[in-house]
Amino acid sequence: MYKVQSITQAYSQAPWRKQLQWIGLFMLALILAAMVAGIYLSVSAQASTAGREIQIMYGEMEEIRRNIEDSESQLAILNSNAVMEKRAEELNFYPVESAEIFYILVPGYIDPGQVSLAKPPGVTIPKTATISPEYTESLMEWLSERVFNPASSLVQEVEP
Amino acid sequence: MKTAGSWRFTTLGILITAMAVFIVIQMLRIQISPQADALRDKGELYSGTWRTLTPARGQIYDRWGHLLAGNNTVYEVGVILSEVENPSTIALAMNAVVDSDYDEVLAATSTEASSEAVYATLARFVTEEQKLRLEQLAKEMATAYGNRKDKNRPSLAGLTYDPRLRRSYPEKDLASNILGFVNWEGEGFFGVEERFNIELAGNPQRVWVPFDPNRVEELPDNPEGTSLILTIDRTIQAELEEIVESTIKDTGSESTTILVMNPKTGDILGAATSPRLDLNEFWRYDEIFEDSTPFNRAVSETYEPGSVYKVLTMAAAIDGGAVKPKTSFLDTGSIEVGGTIIRNWNSGAWGPQDMLGCMQHSLNVCLAWVATELGANKFYQYMQDFGIGHITGVDLAGESPGHLKLPGDGDWYEADLGTNAFGQGVAVTPIQMVMAVSALANEGQMVFPRIVLSMIDNGKQYNTSPRSSGSPISPETAQKISKMLATSLEVESSDALVEGYSIAGKTGTAEIPTPYGYTSSQTNASFVGWGPVDDPRFLVYVWLEKPSTSPWGSVVASPVFRQVVERLVVLMNIPTDEIRHQLVEGQ
Repeated sequence: MYKVQSITQAYSQAPWRKQLQWIGLFMLALILAAMVAGIYLSVSAQASTAGREIQIMYGEMEEIRRNIEDSESQLAILNSNAVMEKRAEELNFYPVESAEIFYILVPGYIDPGQVSLAKPPGVTIPKTATISPEYTESLMEWLSERVFNPASSLVQEVEP
Repeated sequence: MKTAGSWRFTTLGILITAMAVFIVIQMLRIQISPQADALRDKGELYSGTWRTLTPARGQIYDRWGHLLAGNNTVYEVGVILSEVENPSTIALAMNAVVDSDYDEVLAATSTEASSEAVYATLARFVTEEQKLRLEQLAKEMATAYGNRKDKNRPSLAGLTYDPRLRRSYPEKDLASNILGFVNWEGEGFFGVEERFNIELAGNPQRVWVPFDPNRVEELPDNPEGTSLILTIDRTIQAELEEIVESTIKDTGSESTTILVMNPKTGDILGAATSPRLDLNEFWRYDEIFEDSTPFNRAVSETYEPGSVYKVLTMAAAIDGGAVKPKTSFLDTGSIEVGGTIIRNWNSGAWGPQDMLGCMQHSLNVCLAWVATELGANKFYQYMQDFGIGHITGVDLAGESPGHLKLPGDGDWYEADLGTNAFGQGVAVTPIQMVMAVSALANEGQMVFPRIVLSMIDNGKQYNTSPRSSGSPISPETAQKISKMLATSLEVESSDALVEGYSIAGKTGTAEIPTPYGYTSSQTNASFVGWGPVDDPRFLVYVWLEKPSTSPWGSVVASPVFRQVVERLVVLMNIPTDEIRHQLVEGQ
């Protein structure tokens, strides 16, 4: 019995050593947790910043749209019939009479026809989700997506 | 090895553990309690706000792309009650800059802030200039009194400005009767604004906007409302409105209405009437349109047209084979139809006449005889084919169908055939007359009057097409009647004639019915005409209500028609007949 105890004692680690191991393990877990928390915090901060920027941009878009409407109305006021008539009078123009008009035949002249006011098409951008999932999903969602479905990041849905 | 005080640590440990367990249990209880959903919903309510995304109202253009109705930015001025420092300063500033009621603003800004009272609206539709003035005042006060610690220091703290779009009309009252207006609530009234309110307004969308930037979501695409391109020509419209004003002044008429249409396409190039309203000040509507005055007489007001209606009667009779242009008629000065004696406008007998003479001298007796020759059934069938008694379907709100009594109706008598033949006892609108007469000017093809030329929706322009509304008469009849009316004007040396241009037309003078019968002191004077006769480009209808200088259409309405045509031929680039024929030959 004594012999067994001696052997056990001889091969067991010193209590301070065990404590050190536990402390080491605890510190390792703590560092890992801190790292995860740090990454999470960093990604969250970036997502928040991006989200805030998006909110600001939506506000700017609205303001730009209002400015365009304002500018169009302002331009129309400057070119209104009354203003144009006044400007013409100031420049000594006067309404022409029928007898004063000289008509000539212009071969090949094509009537321009009906006015077209539809805005010209802009650069065609494929309609994709404006906000990338990176800004909306949590770190856990992001990790599980990458771990369990690593190929998904290579595929992007594009609407025709 | 136990120390003396270890039981304390054990007890503390148990207590802390119990508390932790209790907190976890409580958390779980709250999560699964019946109130949990309600609490979650309440929490969700404070996490964002519902916003209505109102698209910009579609714009309205004339046929050449001049903007007639657009949008501009205005502001809703309000206060955040918890931030208000001096209610009376805000009330004073709002009164001085925006002309708000001092007491109302003071009462609103003096409200104690609470969970129920957070924000108060002080004024809507504040202009950019007014907003800048308020901001300037706030800045000046902050600079001058910002360091003072007393509670009564002047301050505009708490004021907020929320921008939004409001309808604007760069041409003010030009074409106002056609356009209509948009009220404070963004709802269209009258004209095109009412008729196309849904299309112009677009689709407002209500979306949830979270405050948390991590939960920000893509806002839905919110395209502006449908834009409209009208058939109206801004310059022609302005000329017509100027002529309307001068006519009212010169003839003392209660109102004047002028319609100009392309008889081949139905395009309304101009429609001027009185009164008009600066649409940017639509709140003056009640002041300007008193006593149920119609917003647009051209489509909403019915009246007995008088002799201009004879062109329809004669066209029907010729087309129906009842008479020919050379058919002779002995005018004895009166005729009895259904027991009623019908007389001429001057009560005179005009002797032997052909149909040209009947139209030239505008003989009621002759036209009543023509209608009886055609027969009641055929006559009313033709009138219905001409669209009388029905709305034309023009793209303007508030169109009236007029009234045409028909055989078999309780209020129809045989005598009506005689009176209807010369435009009495029948109620029409100017737009109806224009549509009916388009058949005469367009080789028998009647066209629907058209106000909307194109629509622009989601970046695409959709053009409308001219639509025929039937062929009430044959092309031959149309040519015959055009020739008759052109000759009639030339023989008469009418005031409606324009040098160098062949014009077909007819005057009208209608007594106005009152509860005591017809009164000849007040009349509706009118003129309908088109030209050039061989290739009509315009159809003009002139109507003067109760002119005071002369009751006769030939005296007051014909010169107005000439004035209109003299401007039209210039604005529409129509050479004189001689030059036009030379140009055609040269091609």
